[in-house]
Amino acid sequence: MGKLKLFNGRVANQPKLPNHTCLLLASPRPGVHLLKPTMASMLEFRTPGFNPYAVKYSPYYDSRIAVATSANYGIVGNGRVFCLGLGPGGVQIEKTFDTNDSLYDLAWSEINENQMVVACGDGSIKLFDLGANDFPVMNFHEHKRETFSVCWNPVTKDNFLSSSWDGTVKIWSPTRTESLKTLPVGSCTYSAQFNPSNPALISTASSDSHIRVYDLRTPVSAKYHLTTTIPVHAPPATGAFLPNGQTFPAFPPAEILTHDWNKYNHGLVAAGGVDRVIRTFDVRNPSGGPLSLLRGHEYAVRRLAWSPHAADILISASYDMTVRVWTDGSTMPAAPHPGQPEPPVREGVQLGLMNRHTEFVTGVDWCLFGSGGWVASVGWDERVLLWDAHSLLRA
Amino acid sequence: MGAIDRLQSIGSQLSGAASASGGKSKLLEKNPDDIVVTACLRSAFTKGGKGGFKDTQASDLMAGVFQGLIERSKIDPKLVEDVCVGTVLAPGGGATEMRAAALVAGFPVTTSVRTLNRQCSSGLQACVDVANQIKAGMIEIGVGAGVESMSTNYGPQAVAEFSPLLESVPQAANCKVGMGQLSEKMAKDLKITRQAQDAFAAASYQKALQAQKDGLFKDEIHPLKAKYVDLKTDEEKEVIVDRDDGVRPGITVESLAKIRPAFDKEGTIHAGNASQISDGAAAVLLMKRSTAEKLGQTIIGKYVAASIVGVEPLLMGLGPWKAIPKVFELTGINKDDVDIFEINEAFASQCLWCANELGIPAEKINPKGGAIAFGHPLGCTGARQVSTLLYELKRTGKKIGVTSMCIGTGMGMAAVWVAE
Repeated sequence: MGKLKLFNGRVANQPKLPNHTCLLLASPRPGVHLLKPTMASMLEFRTPGFNPYAVKYSPYYDSRIAVATSANYGIVGNGRVFCLGLGPGGVQIEKTFDTNDSLYDLAWSEINENQMVVACGDGSIKLFDLGANDFPVMNFHEHKRETFSVCWNPVTKDNFLSSSWDGTVKIWSPTRTESLKTLPVGSCTYSAQFNPSNPALISTASSDSHIRVYDLRTPVSAKYHLTTTIPVHAPPATGAFLPNGQTFPAFPPAEILTHDWNKYNHGLVAAGGVDRVIRTFDVRNPSGGPLSLLRGHEYAVRRLAWSPHAADILISASYDMTVRVWTDGSTMPAAPHPGQPEPPVREGVQLGLMNRHTEFVTGVDWCLFGSGGWVASVGWDERVLLWDAHSLLRA
Repeated sequence: MGAIDRLQSIGSQLSGAASASGGKSKLLEKNPDDIVVTACLRSAFTKGGKGGFKDTQASDLMAGVFQGLIERSKIDPKLVEDVCVGTVLAPGGGATEMRAAALVAGFPVTTSVRTLNRQCSSGLQACVDVANQIKAGMIEIGVGAGVESMSTNYGPQAVAEFSPLLESVPQAANCKVGMGQLSEKMAKDLKITRQAQDAFAAASYQKALQAQKDGLFKDEIHPLKAKYVDLKTDEEKEVIVDRDDGVRPGITVESLAKIRPAFDKEGTIHAGNASQISDGAAAVLLMKRSTAEKLGQTIIGKYVAASIVGVEPLLMGLGPWKAIPKVFELTGINKDDVDIFEINEAFASQCLWCANELGIPAEKINPKGGAIAFGHPLGCTGARQVSTLLYELKRTGKKIGVTSMCIGTGMGMAAVWVAE
């Protein structure tokens, strides 16, 4: 399978090429638009009346995608989950579920290929099963404000977490309506993630400009498993004046909207938010400051995801209506000239820019399968775009 | 779960990106756990040894201002859990007198009182300490205050003889160098001309005079009755003190140019371009927004954050230049977001230098004049600036203000406030 590595040990018996590739070779059919002008090929699906907030590829099928959407831009109104299938007939709806409040995120179950959880604006989390119509099979309602992110434990697969504007993270079993554990973060928590290799490590990104790491193996004590706090805006440990003669720019604290663990280096986290900069951190050195700065977005970074296929590649979606593909620079020679000391902060490199969305881009995800470049992006323009990031790199 | 909250959230995520500051819109948000000011006022400032308060003890000044605060806010004094008074020169830190003054003013025995001394920033430090106590949940409602009777307490006894140990470390020994002496040297080293200092000082007088004429101090000054012994007749009489007597007409760059330097024959600093020695008191009532709303208190402003920094003892005048950027860092705003800076005019030289280095336009600094025009009762100034700032922001329909000052022995402090 070439570079493809399934990071959580799942056994893959999937075709070598994802179905989209086959699909693109076929002639266009109703509902599928092949877009040619600037990119080699792109599939499109519309969600009329609903503005997408998140998109996730199924971890089980390369042909299955779920999109969490909200009416009226998630400000007031209903939510709808679209479960989409890719086949010779194009991108087709396999199932939809409606909710009474906006939806902001979703996560596929890692243990049941037909199930997913969605983060709902009323503070609930709903578990939907593709085999059941209309209603969620479970409802988890403890958050007091909007649930904003959900993440399934990729290692033990028997629990998932949620984060909320109420400033807490909750860990749930899919079989119990009461949460297993609550972690107080203290401020609006836009994103929470399990570490991809260690099921006891949970990270959060919040409005107070900090990344926190909780280790469930530590005693609860006064800090509720909190082991690491990283001020995202802070300059590197070496101070504002870098040894290479440059000055590290002063960043005021800013809301962190999204973050993700690297799939190959399990101490590495990337975070992005309102100040438009994406930074990577080594959580084992929380006061060390950022390892890399990825600058280019013109508005807040709304979502980012490390590639499951390459250690240095990540993708980001922004309010500036673009999706960008980056390398964090870790695989490039660090010093501009051989022999010089390494700069303490790397500048990442933007490898490509996808500008086909016409509204805020709110969700982006990598396909786990295939040649390693397939990406789904969604935005407030009521569109789901499926495209190959490789085509950006080649351009 | 409210649509408005969701809209605001998206709005601030966007505007933060657009302005690259992120801080301002956040600063203007109103949250239940904000620390708010529901009343602030001060006494008039009068000249040390000559003015209306020359025979009034600091405790009596403070008691009068506390009474004013209770009257104006209509707060039930029983609800005030702690009072902190900044005072610099009082023997014994004034701890006993201030507790007594609070009892005189009508606070019950259950209201605790303490004093503190961080030199010229004591009044601000008192407000910040009380705000932090509220933030931490230690108390619900508190008063930050400041007072100084320089008439009764100013003099050489303010600093003890330095021990040989202190004298043996140069930087430590620098801590007792006189303010005039070190400011003179600083002005010379930083090439701040007499002309520039006099122009800044004359502007302070002229702004204060105009503000006084327009009645702009009426909101912040609480008139006090005081016993006053006439200097010529020795006759004791009771007077009502309700205006700053240091403010006087006819001060221009030319008239200041005639004054002899005070500390050095060749120097640039004189009585006309340094702060006046004065008597006065000020107080600020602080609580959480949720508490204020529950009690029906009128919210006039919000405390946001404060910074404290250290600088070279001999360059103490640079304090605001270092403290203000630090408080910007804490709050995520920049100088353009701030509408008014109240920077204490200890000396025209240092205030002017700090403003120039920070790139603050002249019209944003001390729009009603400063300590050069109406005086600097050391412990009081920090609390006084809160009243001066919030009422001026309100009058002009502006929002964000900074108070700051340099501190003897080499420190600086700054705080961000929002008028509502």
